[in-house]
Amino acid sequence: MSPRAVPCRVFEEVQTGDELPPRRRDITLTDLVMYAAATWDFHRYHYDEAFARAHGHRAPFVDGQMIGALLAGDLMDWGGAEAFVRRLTYRTRATVYPGDGVVSRGVVTGKTAENGRALVLCTLSMAKMDGTEIMRDATAALELPTRDDVVGAHRTGEPR
Amino acid sequence: MGLVTDELRAWIGRAVSYTAPEELGRAAIRYFAIALHDDNPLYRDEAFARTTRHGGTIAPPTLVTETCQLVDRPPDENGYFGHSWDLPLPSRRFIRGENHYEFVQPVRPADVVTTTWTIVDIYERETRHGSMLFVVSEARYTNQRGELLAVNREVNIHQP
Repeated sequence: MSPRAVPCRVFEEVQTGDELPPRRRDITLTDLVMYAAATWDFHRYHYDEAFARAHGHRAPFVDGQMIGALLAGDLMDWGGAEAFVRRLTYRTRATVYPGDGVVSRGVVTGKTAENGRALVLCTLSMAKMDGTEIMRDATAALELPTRDDVVGAHRTGEPR
Repeated sequence: MGLVTDELRAWIGRAVSYTAPEELGRAAIRYFAIALHDDNPLYRDEAFARTTRHGGTIAPPTLVTETCQLVDRPPDENGYFGHSWDLPLPSRRFIRGENHYEFVQPVRPADVVTTTWTIVDIYERETRHGSMLFVVSEARYTNQRGELLAVNREVNIHQP
């Protein structure tokens, strides 16, 4: 995979009410297996259909922390090359299974300075295509550089 | 009622630590990013990452909270070898209730991660599925210099 350009969003340009672009993902069994392998979590729950069914699930299921990882990825992509997620919190409401399409969204609810850091506060959500809420009360604090902070030569352009 | 027995209550405050046998490494970081279809060059392009205020490759934020790779022991009969509490309950099964992540500083390829898990609280609460046991754990992640990297407070829900 060749590197893509990641421009940089700066704190001053963000406004309350700004939205992260909704992102649709189709979760496959391959995704579960890849995440299990990348996190060294080889529990049969995440790939063995007969085992998962025998334990009350309709299929192998997504590790809840993978949902958090996807949301963190959304934030990092939106924030750009000098962003860093400082806080992320969520309550799990529904289990995700292979074949589920999910859509994540986010909206900026405020901006604050904390210990000299410029933080953008967001609420986040992820839902299945039928509207089932996967998580509730998801919030994040994303640190962004201020105009004076930006280090890189990537200060122009819109992050995706 | 009375799900929190004295035997269970004695687990509150118990802690266990795991230290990775080696550095996290650039391969583990890239592997995690691939599993999430995340092509952010901060995670894989050292030359690019050096031009940002991060100063070099960083790990995706939640990678450090996946701790199986820190635990150096053989898998159990279901393929699992990561952290778990051996609580005196009929089953080890649980569902994830909440995750609260705080990311104190980005995790780097050279970091040798230690995590310390502590049981913060165990309580009973009525849910739509009946009385459940809520186990609150906190994991603190540090590097080889003893610097705090992240904190993960999670609530897992056990059927009694």
